[in-house]
Amino acid sequence: MAVPLPTFVTRRRPDWDALQALLTRQRSGRLGLAELRTLDTLYRRAAADLAQAQTFYPGTDAHRFLNQLCAQAYGAIYQPPRERWASTRDFFRRDFPATLRREARFVGVSAGLLVLGLLLGALVVTLEPRGAELLVPEGVRRYVAQGRMWTDDLLSVAPPNAVASGIATNNLTVTLFAFASGILLGVGPIFTLVNNGVLIGAVGALCFREGMATGFLDFIAAHGPVELSIIVIAGGAGLMVGQALIDPGELPRAQALQARGREAVKLVVGCAPFLAGIGVVEGFISPGHLFPTWAKVGLGLSLGALFWLYLLRAGRTDAGVARVDVPEAMASSRLR
Amino acid sequence: MTPSAPAPHVDVATPERVALSLPVAGIGYRCLAWLVDASLLFFFWVALYFVITLLVSDVLGAFQALSGLTQTLLAVGLFATQWLYWTLAEVFFHGQTPGKRVMRIRVVREDGSPVGFFESAVRNLCRAVDFLPVLYATGCITMLLDSRHRRLGDLLAGTVLVREEAIDLDKYTQAPPADAAPGSTPGASVQRPLDAEDVELVLAFLARAPGLEPEVRQRLGARLVDRVGASLTDEERARVLQSAEATEAFLRTRAKAAH
Repeated sequence: MAVPLPTFVTRRRPDWDALQALLTRQRSGRLGLAELRTLDTLYRRAAADLAQAQTFYPGTDAHRFLNQLCAQAYGAIYQPPRERWASTRDFFRRDFPATLRREARFVGVSAGLLVLGLLLGALVVTLEPRGAELLVPEGVRRYVAQGRMWTDDLLSVAPPNAVASGIATNNLTVTLFAFASGILLGVGPIFTLVNNGVLIGAVGALCFREGMATGFLDFIAAHGPVELSIIVIAGGAGLMVGQALIDPGELPRAQALQARGREAVKLVVGCAPFLAGIGVVEGFISPGHLFPTWAKVGLGLSLGALFWLYLLRAGRTDAGVARVDVPEAMASSRLR
Repeated sequence: MTPSAPAPHVDVATPERVALSLPVAGIGYRCLAWLVDASLLFFFWVALYFVITLLVSDVLGAFQALSGLTQTLLAVGLFATQWLYWTLAEVFFHGQTPGKRVMRIRVVREDGSPVGFFESAVRNLCRAVDFLPVLYATGCITMLLDSRHRRLGDLLAGTVLVREEAIDLDKYTQAPPADAAPGSTPGASVQRPLDAEDVELVLAFLARAPGLEPEVRQRLGARLVDRVGASLTDEERARVLQSAEATEAFLRTRAKAAH
């Protein structure tokens, strides 16, 4: 037979207060071993109290309080392991390249889309001289008409944020968007890839037609290969998300989305340091005439080759130990 | 939970075989938390701008001289405020950015366990899409459509935002005021014990009574006395209903009645 609710609360409250105090301490710093043992004991007691409250006092404030207290303690006790340096190293050494190779189909499709855009943009501008007015941003057109590269005095006339608009220099935004827009049924990455391809192709063809091919090459060569690769990989990750939405296979859509999303984000997170590195190249080496064009082309090609060599070769030896994502799906489905 | 509360919940089965159910944070909480975070980031940028203008007298000239560095810094700054801030805060502060902490909401996985790096990375990368076309319009629409108020990023990462309420247990453990003489509460101990629902009702009334209008206080008190003190004789009932103090003392004793 249940005791009256106030008696129950009065009797058990010291333990709950102690547990709350411990949780506050745990959040602000580290607990000693003895305190952790206490935390464990108190959590189990609180869980037992919650079970009692659920049976005898459902819907009361005491029940809600215990619910919340147990949830906080549960969160504190069952924390995911902290991402340590070793696991980061492991991720780049094996997990990221292996994931990329496993999802090579999507990256291939993504690359195809970008190339399609490039060809379209270049064709339109080459075949139809007026086409440039449609595809190339006006600021760039003005510069090209004057026979100058728009990158020569990037910051002399325009504030920095206006520079990024129109040219695909804002690689970070493009990369993030190519991935994240995959949740729009995969239409987003397709649009992003083709759109950027068309833009680059059109600008390149326009420069070529105006006899400024070397200038264009000079600007794009050093960072182009790696940067386009990263955009392609991010687009592939976005396509993975879209595919999980359209064709979830045997899982419910929500679960397929989560399982695939976790894989896809690995590709984006893996690209992040390379994106940072290539951003430095784009900021310091590409603009201006500090380096001759042949050096930039050589640097760009070798960086691109190294990047892909890493992606295709790293962690090959134990590629047989492919991680299976079944436990993940099971873990999230054990509640339904 | 009471069937009259259709508020969305996340149900969690812990290894201790106790079912938790966590209240989900709705669109209002989320908007306010975002506003707090956004203002923090805004002040960060403003402060940065002032620092730069203090250090460098000719800002535009310096930017021109360091065009490469500026571009890199801008990209890094954008990245930091758009993604790094949110993700690191959620990973290191147990699913709470500063704004979420102010609003007492928290990001957890759908099974109630704490959020990890990859989940947080996904849900914050998706801000770029949720923000479209302006001010999180996409995210707000999906929140309104989804039963658990999730935006696209949450759907992709498998995360939910849960709310933490401030619940006061004092009403259960409050000692009765000293002026309530034991003789003034007749028949309280010979009645059947109350069930939890009635106790909750009485205690909620007692906690709020001092702030009520006098006649409302009297009326509600009388109704509660009729509900929990059914076996009172007529003169006992009249004595209990004499004053608000007597009524509430009687109710308090009833709620605390042991067996």
